[in-house]
Amino acid sequence: MAATFFGEVVKAPCRAGSEDEEEEDEGRRETSEDREVRQQLARKREVRLLRRQTKTSLEVSLLEKYPCSKFIIAIGNNAVAFLSSFVMNSGVWEEVGCAKLWNEWCRTTDTIHLSSTEAFCVFYHLKSNPSVFLCQCSCYVAEDQQYQWLEKVFGSCPRKNMQITILTCRHVTDYKTSESTGSLPSPFLKALKTQNFKDPVCCPLLEQPNIVHDLPAAVLSYCQVWKIPAILYLCYTDVMKLDLITVEAFKPILSTRSLKGLVKNIPQSTEILKKLMTTNEIQSNIYT
Amino acid sequence: MASRYDRAITVFSPDGHLFQVEYAQEAVKKGSTAVGIRGANIVVLGVEKKSVAKLQDERTVRKICALDDHVCMAFAALTIFIGLAADARVVINRARVECQSHKLTVEDPVTVEYITRFIATLKQKYTQSNGRRPFGISALIVGFDDDGIPRLYQTDPSGTYHAWKANAIGRSAKTVREFLEKNYTEDAIASDNEAIKLAIKALLEVVQSGGKNIELAVIRRHQALEMFSAKEVELHITEIEKEKEKAEKKKSKKSV
Repeated sequence: MAATFFGEVVKAPCRAGSEDEEEEDEGRRETSEDREVRQQLARKREVRLLRRQTKTSLEVSLLEKYPCSKFIIAIGNNAVAFLSSFVMNSGVWEEVGCAKLWNEWCRTTDTIHLSSTEAFCVFYHLKSNPSVFLCQCSCYVAEDQQYQWLEKVFGSCPRKNMQITILTCRHVTDYKTSESTGSLPSPFLKALKTQNFKDPVCCPLLEQPNIVHDLPAAVLSYCQVWKIPAILYLCYTDVMKLDLITVEAFKPILSTRSLKGLVKNIPQSTEILKKLMTTNEIQSNIYT
Repeated sequence: MASRYDRAITVFSPDGHLFQVEYAQEAVKKGSTAVGIRGANIVVLGVEKKSVAKLQDERTVRKICALDDHVCMAFAALTIFIGLAADARVVINRARVECQSHKLTVEDPVTVEYITRFIATLKQKYTQSNGRRPFGISALIVGFDDDGIPRLYQTDPSGTYHAWKANAIGRSAKTVREFLEKNYTEDAIASDNEAIKLAIKALLEVVQSGGKNIELAVIRRHQALEMFSAKEVELHITEIEKEKEKAEKKKSKKSV
């Protein structure tokens, strides 16, 4: 039992497993069929990092192969749209590879024959400064795949002289606060940084008891352990699908050191962003 | 924290939340953006109209609905419901029946406040019954009463209702409301045209694609309801854009 931040007592779920687990294991025997199924599933859920042009797997991790001084990762469609219109539009970016993976959240069932437009995590570097990397990740990376993703991208012994910036969104109802969600100024930006990140932050830090989830959390934890300066900018919004106002909430980041020198033409970027917005979005028949 | 007290509508959480009602308010945010403005002599309702599927008949997708009309004059009450479409249909039907029932019983048409209160009471009943869920809709109700005063009311899934000078509901409503707070001035609503332009400007804060994606209706005092065609909305938008350009030119002149 544990007390939550706001005083209510709840039973906290334990990720280490329940106490009865040891007794259960003795009773169960793993057959060869079980092993095969497990291996098949592991193969299916493998995270593959591929060179786009040659479609061959990268032998070493991405950042071991290419030196990196700055790495900007966008996770989720709004963050991806922000980087596409403001950053990718202001320079020449070359694709260096993509990460392909499958999990239950994926819409396609066939991982082997994914079309070239369906790569989920695409990695780019700036042609004029090849140590600046960018990742556009618009898929969900499941918990068991996050470690593999980190290994394939960062490697097992990453350099410490790079700076990581992560952008992502979360629904405002996940934001734990004593105020009601109706009174929150959504969308709003919060930041969470590792100990080694010393630059000024352009928005308030994420307060307790809020936590970060999924791939952004995995990357931040990894950076904290390896003492890499990293910062996560988390936009809490009430419109999770692609939305102009949510994407524009990331704008304060344009003035930070993380994106300095990478953004040139802001009015043009805004125009490109508007075009990106699905103006032909079909009306849902459930909601009027 | 919410998970233990949000499965039943009739259960309060220890700190006084009715989570099902709050979740119903989230359902409203999934709908399109609608804006209502009360001018000096006019009431305006505008809503974002998203494109329909290719094979769907567009005529059946009407968002702004009349609740009642006078025998010989303007529509007394016009409404737009945002949120779950099926809930909206059911509530509109109940409201329309109530309007007629009131007329038969009392021989007077409903006032805007009366019908708003009826809708709000109906919604509140569903937040207190077991086995039922709240209506996932918010409404903007506009109209003129017999005294000729324009009215704008807003209801939400909890069953509260309030009178407003201008308000917005649905997706990104907060952004639109902030725009209205800055721009709703006595000058802005002095003339009918200005009130209409304010409504369109407010919607353009969140609607990207222009006139064909905005549905607009107005009631002027002692006149019939007017539904704007896409062309008319486009005309107003062109006017707004011209004014913007003029204002920007003035600014640049001043700075030089």
